[in-house]
Amino acid sequence: MATQSESKPGVRPSKGVRPTQGARSFSVGTAVLLILPLVLLGGIIALFLTTGGGLQLASPVPVEALTVERTVMAPGTIEIAVRNGGPEPLTIAQVIINDAVWPMDVVPRRTIPRLGRATVRLDYEWVEGEAYAIRLLTGNAIAFDVEIPVAFTTPTPTGRTFLSFTLIGLYVGVIPIYLGILWFPALRALERRWMVFLLALTVGLLLFLGVDTVVEALEQAASVPAPFQAIGLVAIGATATFVLLMAITRRQQAIGRDEADRRLALAYMIAAGIGLHNLGEGLAIGAAYNLGEIALGAFLVVGFIIQNITEGLGIIAPVLRDRPSLRNLALMGLIGGVPAVVGAWIGGFAPSATLSVLFFGIGTGAIFEVAYEIAGMLRKDMAKESMPLVIFAGVFAGMVLLWVTGMLIK
Amino acid sequence: MKSRVTRREFFRAGIFTVLGTAGAATLAQLGLKKPARAAVLAHEGEHAGAMPSTVGEVDHVRNGFDPTDILTDFDYGTVSTLPDGQTLREYSLVATDKTIEVAPGIDFPAWVYNGRIPGPTLRCVEGDRIRVHFFNASSHPHTIHFHGIHPFEVDGVPGAGPGVIPTGESFTYEFDAEPFGLHLYHCHVFPLARHIAKGLYGTFIVDPQGGWPPVDHEYVMVMNGIDVDFDDENDFYAVNTIPFHYQLHPIPIKVGETVRIFLVNLLEFDPINSFHLHANFFHYYPTGTSLEPSEYTDTIMQAQAQRGILEFAYKYPGLFMFHAHKTEFAELGWTGNFEVTVAEGAGDGHAE
Repeated sequence: MATQSESKPGVRPSKGVRPTQGARSFSVGTAVLLILPLVLLGGIIALFLTTGGGLQLASPVPVEALTVERTVMAPGTIEIAVRNGGPEPLTIAQVIINDAVWPMDVVPRRTIPRLGRATVRLDYEWVEGEAYAIRLLTGNAIAFDVEIPVAFTTPTPTGRTFLSFTLIGLYVGVIPIYLGILWFPALRALERRWMVFLLALTVGLLLFLGVDTVVEALEQAASVPAPFQAIGLVAIGATATFVLLMAITRRQQAIGRDEADRRLALAYMIAAGIGLHNLGEGLAIGAAYNLGEIALGAFLVVGFIIQNITEGLGIIAPVLRDRPSLRNLALMGLIGGVPAVVGAWIGGFAPSATLSVLFFGIGTGAIFEVAYEIAGMLRKDMAKESMPLVIFAGVFAGMVLLWVTGMLIK
Repeated sequence: MKSRVTRREFFRAGIFTVLGTAGAATLAQLGLKKPARAAVLAHEGEHAGAMPSTVGEVDHVRNGFDPTDILTDFDYGTVSTLPDGQTLREYSLVATDKTIEVAPGIDFPAWVYNGRIPGPTLRCVEGDRIRVHFFNASSHPHTIHFHGIHPFEVDGVPGAGPGVIPTGESFTYEFDAEPFGLHLYHCHVFPLARHIAKGLYGTFIVDPQGGWPPVDHEYVMVMNGIDVDFDDENDFYAVNTIPFHYQLHPIPIKVGETVRIFLVNLLEFDPINSFHLHANFFHYYPTGTSLEPSEYTDTIMQAQAQRGILEFAYKYPGLFMFHAHKTEFAELGWTGNFEVTVAEGAGDGHAE
């Protein structure tokens, strides 16, 4: 359908062309044939569950998996949110903290069903800045270790910490993107080959960000409970986003918008892709801050500003030859930057590795799709005037730019 | 807030103890016959969160043994007299595979003699003829290696006499009990650390001719540890296997009563264990091979298989801790309490 309408913009298939064979052949017989395999499947499952299907393969060793999702420390207490990622229910029998068996409560109960969540609570006078090793022992004597490298009170959603996370998001996302967009008037004065260079640069930036996002997703995947299949989530998020954005672009072309409108739409999509990337970045920063793994010093924030200023550049690159309204530019800046704030909130107050992985997957798909669209745009430009070295220089410079500025924040 | 309440409760418990020392008469008049019990409640009740402890209680019935009973459970064997007049003691030990709940909610696939860890406390008199009928019902080969003076054939190591005893077979270890003192026995099949750590050991007491001086209480305490995840490091420590058992169930004694503890260290993996008694001193008889104490102290240490006899009496009532002074072991389960109360007679007499 899509290819059909693409070849003939504005022309829709008439009602008379609509095929009718499908409706004619759908009868009771077809319905029975459709349902029969499902009925048989149900029968086999029932047989299997009741008799075991003749398999004598009970696992001799209990396989247990427990994922620590979150550790919340308040004065005098430590709470550990865990999820049972194993095939069977699991019981938390005892807890040892820094080589001392410690009384504890598990809410809602000590036996956690498959994929169920529970919170282990210890009344323990921990000391700010010290390290703690907590060992959760299950009823099958399998130990799961929780490391607290630096103990400090977990930020709770008070007005003040909320403001802090908002500021982090602003510094990391919104401000640098607007700084990049501020180049717009100056860049408009550039000659055509420089505009092509900037588009190529944007492709380079996006490719680098895309790879970076995939790596982040895979790193986070390690802390997702196995049944949630983190890699699968990344693949679904990335592919679905890529195909969906491609469909939206084709649709817009089909509706017959002019070139300028399409370039503006592309700029919006770049903003959205970068926004998703920044959402992931915000999540990572918020979560890392909670774990005490990151010192959000001035140097790091400066690094993020320098790196993300290039993202603003990427957003405006497609529309340099047009006259987008100030409102459009402002909106694109918000789309690209504000998700960093939202990400920092989520990461800071309710981090979830599973959610992060999904967002990173979506971001990956969006970024690569946008790079693909710009490449298409460049191909059109090349048809008018070939400048392969400019494109090479642009892509290369874009990637190197992020690699170099990345040194400031890694 | 919560910690403050806990502290207050703790101080209150302390005051009861002080009151206890002030005199039984006062307490009897106040109707507080058991001052230490108040302290127990403060320690073990709603505010137990202030100190290390396991959560819940081990099912001793399912385990088949209770550490409280093991303290005083001496196996004197089946006694008869040989034609030459020598006393014969016959014991029966069966090795099995058994799941033991070593800490509340945690099952451990143990190897045991007679269904318990530590195995039965074999007790005899110096010069007795000892016959230990060993049957191996475990799925692995095992032996019994006694500490003492005996011929090579009954040393219970691979290559000595019948060597290792395979599954379903039996052997009788026979020797004369010497020297008098506090000894031990354990399986000596390799890998040795695993065969001991899984529970195949026990206490072997050889009384001197004429016995030790009489005391009011004799207790057997085997210091051990449990490596629940088989990483060759102990996860829990205890006396008589169950962590914190005597903290949850203090050993009741009276002021002035004499106590003798047969203390054996069978801890694997960690090189040294120790015993510290609160608010008291004890006479120590290393290996129990002399009737004269070597030391008057409140803390002793024992390497693997070292053992000794402790003798003491409490001067004051109260809830007194005893624990490894390697505090890591103490906080991982090797902690207990003596609940020392004033003898009934003393209190009643004064009240009249």
